[in-house]
Amino acid sequence: MADAAMSGPGRRVYFQQGTVLKVMVLAILIALIVLPLLRTVLFTLQPETITAWSDVLTSRLSENLFYKPLTNTLIIGVFVSSFCVLIGGFLAWLVVMTNVPFRKTIGVMATLPFMIPSFAAALAWGSLFRNDRVGGQLGWLQGLGLDIPDWLAWGMVPTLIVLTLHYFSLAFTIIAASLATVNSDLVEAAQIAGAKGGKILMGIILPVTTPALVAAGSLCFAGAVSNFATPALLGLPVRMQTLSTRLFGMIEVGQVSRGYVIGILLVLISGAFLWAGNRIVSGRRSYATITGKGGRAKRFDLRGNRWPLLVVAFAILMAATVVPVIVLIASSFAPSSADLFANWTLHYWIGESSPDFAQGIPGIIHNNDIVRALLVTLALGCAVAVTGMCVGLLTSYTVARYREGVLSAAITQISFLPLLVPGIAFGAAYIAYLGAPIGPFPALYGTIALLVIAGTAYLLPFSVQTGRAVIQQVGGELEESARITGASFFQRLASITVPLAMRGLAAGGILVFVKIIRDLSLVVLLFTPTMPVLSVVAYRYASEGFAQFANAITVIILIISIAATLIANALQTKSQPWLKN
Amino acid sequence: MLTLKATCFGAIGILLSSAALADGHLDTMSAEDLLPMAQEEGTVTVYSFTSRIGRVEAAFEEAYPGIDLQGFDISSTEQIARLRAEAQAGVTNADVIYISDTPVVLTELLETGIIGPYVPPRVADRVPAEFQSPLLAQRLSTKVLMYNEEANPDGAPISNLWELTTDEWTGRVVMVDPLQRGDYLDLMTEMVLQSDAMAAAYEDLFGSAIDLDGMANAGEKFIADLFANDVILVSSTDDVNAAVGRIGQDNPPIGFTSYSDRRDNEEEGWALQVANDVVPSPGIIFPAIVALAAEPNNPAAARLVIDFLMGDESETGGPGLAPFYVAGDYVTRTDIPPHPDAVPLDYFNAWRIQPAETATIRADVGDLVLTLQ
Repeated sequence: MADAAMSGPGRRVYFQQGTVLKVMVLAILIALIVLPLLRTVLFTLQPETITAWSDVLTSRLSENLFYKPLTNTLIIGVFVSSFCVLIGGFLAWLVVMTNVPFRKTIGVMATLPFMIPSFAAALAWGSLFRNDRVGGQLGWLQGLGLDIPDWLAWGMVPTLIVLTLHYFSLAFTIIAASLATVNSDLVEAAQIAGAKGGKILMGIILPVTTPALVAAGSLCFAGAVSNFATPALLGLPVRMQTLSTRLFGMIEVGQVSRGYVIGILLVLISGAFLWAGNRIVSGRRSYATITGKGGRAKRFDLRGNRWPLLVVAFAILMAATVVPVIVLIASSFAPSSADLFANWTLHYWIGESSPDFAQGIPGIIHNNDIVRALLVTLALGCAVAVTGMCVGLLTSYTVARYREGVLSAAITQISFLPLLVPGIAFGAAYIAYLGAPIGPFPALYGTIALLVIAGTAYLLPFSVQTGRAVIQQVGGELEESARITGASFFQRLASITVPLAMRGLAAGGILVFVKIIRDLSLVVLLFTPTMPVLSVVAYRYASEGFAQFANAITVIILIISIAATLIANALQTKSQPWLKN
Repeated sequence: MLTLKATCFGAIGILLSSAALADGHLDTMSAEDLLPMAQEEGTVTVYSFTSRIGRVEAAFEEAYPGIDLQGFDISSTEQIARLRAEAQAGVTNADVIYISDTPVVLTELLETGIIGPYVPPRVADRVPAEFQSPLLAQRLSTKVLMYNEEANPDGAPISNLWELTTDEWTGRVVMVDPLQRGDYLDLMTEMVLQSDAMAAAYEDLFGSAIDLDGMANAGEKFIADLFANDVILVSSTDDVNAAVGRIGQDNPPIGFTSYSDRRDNEEEGWALQVANDVVPSPGIIFPAIVALAAEPNNPAAARLVIDFLMGDESETGGPGLAPFYVAGDYVTRTDIPPHPDAVPLDYFNAWRIQPAETATIRADVGDLVLTLQ
């Protein structure tokens, strides 16, 4: 590219603005995401595996293997993302723009559900609503004598509710960060002109936050369609399958090529949906809301609705946060997983190894494996958060500033890809990709570098989307004036864009950190004996029937996640300006 | 450049062949002779499909100080995925592989040369030939029909598998989705392989010959009827155990799970018991395999671990075998007495799977199950 710019005597070829930057970002994304995934596609195209395509799409198996799970998957994706944006948007509006009581509490609690693994919420649902279909332990409500019907205990309805309660906090985080940057000029002008609250919401706030709403909806959609634990736990007893449970099952029984085909189709279909969402945003010209002027608008007065709305918000948050946390904590004390509130013991936390208890496994504070895994996990989380936000910032800056053109579209699409790839497939692709030496570079297998690179690539959709919603709002005029005064690209990035977009970036960094430290599917193939991570250790205990240790570790992950959020808030006093009065 | 490469390859070839020679030599060495070499290696890595490797680790390090056993509890499916990926990357991480899922292991790991067999010479004459080849089985594990002993104090509530397809058991049979767990697919596959026995059992119960109704054989017909009778699928054996075994149920379901999970009855509040007398068979019994990586980093220590896992010369095999000497697991060594609390192997009616045979039709049975869901 540089050569081309110099070529031709006395003639300078100017590329369209931003082309060099775009090409650079695209190269990074191809190396991180496209190449490893390409291996998966090529795998299904070998002579002995290519029949998997017809098996999945046009055989007598297709209906159960693909079309029914596809329908369920799309229902889940559409419903969960819509409800997440509604609930997350509602709470974000309450916290950021109104004078509802206990705003800080709502703000903190609304970010918690995302830190609780979705399987914990699914288990909590079971302990409340489980009926006698499966036998064994009954749920609390059935135990009270209520007759819980199958549709409320199992299948689509509980899956939709649990996933919505899990992912809405993702929508909340993104939308709140965006609402907090809405320019007061606009709102005040409307207020002076006599516009009512509803009109301000529909006419100003909604339009300028559209990128955040679409980003939130997209992330929730992608998360919901690729979620495995919840449909597996709640759907299986009534034989409800989604593409992700099918994919997992196919890989589990050794039919890897069919599994990969389902995975590829999942990527393509979700990609099409997200592309459509993306079109809506890119149709508009400018979303700049943080400009060189303006300050905070005064809060919208809810008057008599303050307390009723608070009750609604708290009902949602109790269901999404308090109940699963209580179940998690209780089950880390209860010797029998069937009877959560009986015979509590501290052994799983502080007990010494004893042959009579849990096959001699010591409580987690005496367990060296867990302590080592904790350190590795923290290092991994920090590293991925930093590298992720660096790549994410560069990517989101590029697509926000230079929205036009094929390259930008390609960058946007590619940065979304990992979200749709089941973690276990992504992990397998990465081992094949970086496990062996490439040219002068040594094999990365067994090093933390492999985990960091794969984690960065895998979570790029989160860093890019959160960064993008914020960067799109930083007015181009500020940067333009800097460019006129001669500031270079990196100077502008460092002294204007980054500081102004810091709160969005910090929010993104926290999301990435929280996601990687509790992620299981990606690391389960990538971790090595010398590089244990907490989620893998927890999974090993859970799969061996020691749910108490698994839940205790999950509680630790939860505490770290909350601590991370609080520390980030303290360091970045501006990161949640909506909490200030 | 070309010559240099050729020389390199030559050198590698020599190294490889001498390594192979050394390995061949190692295969015949006793544990005592392996020990000094193993101590020099100093460490050994084991992939294990059971968490009981933790207890093996402690016992091994006590028996052989100076050798650090790193045990990793990884499910069979994950081990297969991991070992394949590692092989593609040219990395050998594990020295010893302790795994079930034999039908997949044979095709994906043994035939592809990712793992190789080893039988410690010390126990070679005390393990039946069928359990030495193609890979050494350390013990046998099960997926069998279990019922709730508390609710059925007089024994199993059914005597014939075909009863599970009748109205009385509609929506009351629990198992793990065979398309999510390999060993349950093996169970379904064995029913198809045992179609003659299934047909005979049908006639026993209903008094007339089976009408296949478009199915290829009695085994497939049973699976189809079982699914049509609203069999409940869950995602793990512990879910089956809790559903079937939980104490205090009036009308508990019945389900397929591991016989050895009965050992957790007291701790978990279960009343699981095996329905050993159902005809034609309560389920399957299948091997847990110990094998070497194709080119282990610590060849002597790896062999020493397998020797240890096969148990010592004391009556019940000593500390290496202790974690596996439980009711419901069957050690393959003929000189170890059966566990007193379990049905002896000779009286245990589960079908023994033939992994190579299972592998031939396993995918087809999986397709059948898929069309039934």
